[in-house]
Amino acid sequence: MLVMMRFPTILAADALLPSRIQMAFTLAYHVIMVPLGVALPTYALLMNGIGIFKKDPVALRIARRWSVVMAVQFAVGAVTGTILSFEFGILWPRLMGRFGAALGLGFAIEGLAFFLEAIFIGIYLYGWTRLRPKTHFLLGLALPPAGVLGTFSVLAANSFMQTPGGITLSATGELLSVDVLGALFPRSLGYEFWHFLIAAYMAAGFVVASIYAVAWLRGRRDHYQRLAFAIPFTVAALLAPVQLVVGDLSARGLVDDQPAKFAAMEITWKTRSHNPEYIGGLINGAGQVNFGIAIPSFDSVLIGLSPNSVAPGLTSVPADARPSIVEANITHLAFDLMVGLGSAGVFLMVWYFVVLLGRRHLPQSPWFYRVASLAGIGSYIAIECGWTTTEVGRQPWIVYNLMRVADAVTSAPASFVWIMLSALLVVYVLIALIFVNVLLGLAARWRHEDERELVRAPEEGAPYGPRPELASDGSVSPMGPLP
Amino acid sequence: MTAALASFTALVLLLTITAYSVAGGVDYGAGIWDLLAGRGARANRARELIDHAMAPVWEANNVWLVLAIVVCWTGFPLLFQSVFASLYPLFAVALLALILRGAFFAFRHVGVGPRGQRRAGVVFGISSVLAPFFFAAALGAIASGRVAVSEPSVPVWQACFNPTSISFGVVSLAATAFIGASFLVGDARRFGMPDMTDYFKRRAVIATVVLIIMGTIALAVMGLENSRLLSAMLTGLGTPFALAAVIFTPVVGFLLWRGIFLWYRTLSVVVVGSLVFAWGFGQSPYLLPRQLTIAQAAPPLGTEVLLSIVTLLVVVLVLPSLALLVYLDQRGALESP
Repeated sequence: MLVMMRFPTILAADALLPSRIQMAFTLAYHVIMVPLGVALPTYALLMNGIGIFKKDPVALRIARRWSVVMAVQFAVGAVTGTILSFEFGILWPRLMGRFGAALGLGFAIEGLAFFLEAIFIGIYLYGWTRLRPKTHFLLGLALPPAGVLGTFSVLAANSFMQTPGGITLSATGELLSVDVLGALFPRSLGYEFWHFLIAAYMAAGFVVASIYAVAWLRGRRDHYQRLAFAIPFTVAALLAPVQLVVGDLSARGLVDDQPAKFAAMEITWKTRSHNPEYIGGLINGAGQVNFGIAIPSFDSVLIGLSPNSVAPGLTSVPADARPSIVEANITHLAFDLMVGLGSAGVFLMVWYFVVLLGRRHLPQSPWFYRVASLAGIGSYIAIECGWTTTEVGRQPWIVYNLMRVADAVTSAPASFVWIMLSALLVVYVLIALIFVNVLLGLAARWRHEDERELVRAPEEGAPYGPRPELASDGSVSPMGPLP
Repeated sequence: MTAALASFTALVLLLTITAYSVAGGVDYGAGIWDLLAGRGARANRARELIDHAMAPVWEANNVWLVLAIVVCWTGFPLLFQSVFASLYPLFAVALLALILRGAFFAFRHVGVGPRGQRRAGVVFGISSVLAPFFFAAALGAIASGRVAVSEPSVPVWQACFNPTSISFGVVSLAATAFIGASFLVGDARRFGMPDMTDYFKRRAVIATVVLIIMGTIALAVMGLENSRLLSAMLTGLGTPFALAAVIFTPVVGFLLWRGIFLWYRTLSVVVVGSLVFAWGFGQSPYLLPRQLTIAQAAPPLGTEVLLSIVTLLVVVLVLPSLALLVYLDQRGALESP
């Protein structure tokens, strides 16, 4: 009888689970595309600028190759981003129906930014052979602001879900009026925006540099490798300590803005002063923490620079309005891992600058390059962890304190969402294979050309980009495997 | 004020859908002809041309689609919720087709060997058929009046698959093949491939005939099923656009049949645009026929104002840079790379 009673309840709410998994999966995937999309143009333009103003053909070659990666990467990001925008309708129609007029403001600006990025990446890619170098460089300068605008707008939308503002609701929850500035600049945007923008620039810088760190370990140590390593690595390393400060400000902002999320990050059960900081550890339903290392009072010190500072606990929020135990533990572990990786970034920064400033040359130790080659993947993991902290820590709300995830979900049958999720999984694996294959193919060809000192257009063989020039007889070159 | 801005937003939404139908249509159309090319030396040459023509489009057409979605959920949140709550299966299929298409287009270029390329081409072609069909079917489903406000009032499969939605899908396929062939004629001429000019000229003429037949059948189906929309299209604000489509479709076919290479691409854009406009204006002032008007679905004033500002910025910033990109595409290299 009990089983029969429970079965229909599970059926009624069951699109929720696959919808959450699908959204989490597709967002986690899309986030991988974001750092390079936002920040690679800046690194390519830095290289381009060095090439022009120092008259360095090697720097120009690097910049041009990076611009090809930019275009391929943009295509993948455009696809995964398009999927996300449809998912808002397919999975969360009621969220948009109720809050679209406010939540959509950021996305409307994102539409503009996305458009500008698409066009200017095209112009930059075409311009290498079709514009004078300085004109080309100046037009390219439109790309970083477009990336920043895109970051701002998406984070404005996300911040609205974290700390909704600028709206008036009727007693029944209908949206009555929207104050544009209030909705576009929610409280949490200040720290969310800077934290993510810096993260994107760090991750892009470290991941690009890590490719050339591997090249160093494999024995390539020429001007090309040094330049391509040093520029992105230096920028990313300089940002690492800044990120530690901004990250700390973000966490402290949550004490007031989203106390339940902060409590989950620190697995604090009861609101209290002299709260310990747990490194690792899991909380259980009775509020006990197992396995972790506790640093006495340190959480309170981090909040208010005094052990007397009061840290919010999970129980300060009713059980149905705060993250579940599992969600709290996920939030906590993701947060810890992110902080750990961020600290490792600062350590790497110190190592790099001690050598660079002390000996006036790039590090020569294989160990440095071994660690540096992991910095790319490490910063991507940190971004995924930060995003997990933000989103899982917000549960069970889709718009904090105003709408629950369960109330926003589609009325489509669960089977439909499971099938769509399975199809997306297959397709995304395929996209990853193609993406990696294209990049490896390009890299192999460029390496081959460098070894034999061949000079060819780097964009040849990429699936997207300017057409190859026509042969004199008017025929086009046949498509085919890469040479 | 709000009502005027809401009408403006509705026009922007219609224009974005039109832009996607045209730009996406050219792109999907090339995919359809890729699928229909068959095998052999001539088919390979046709595919070369298609590939060469499509290379500069790196998923940038998705921009129009994303813009349409964003304008819809910000400008008409209730419409967005209603449409997706009733028509999610159509969008899910269209979406999957859209991704597969992009993925397999890229896949053809990765070193996969001739057989892999052929298989990738088949997936690319089939998804080029599915995406426009299902997107247009969603518009047809809205026109049929089966999308209820907020939550579905009829079973979802009925809202998705009915005579009007299917006839919209079929007309869109014919129109996509039509505009695709017409642009491929232009590309073949631009790249100096006379054999391909003839090849796609013939196909454009066939597509014209198919479009006229399918359009007529669709009108008949709509007349039987939903005479209100048909009469609105033929007597209301949609009239001039319906007329333009009726007049210019055969003109394009005639021009290409006689080998008069003037205006045929512009006119095929006019035809596809008119078809979308005839639907949109035919429905006005309703977003969901007889259930939700533009004014009823309008968001609060602040949102309308910001949306209008963003629209103006798109016009001021995007159009000139788009023109520059097209110019760079058409212009050759300054020097060899």
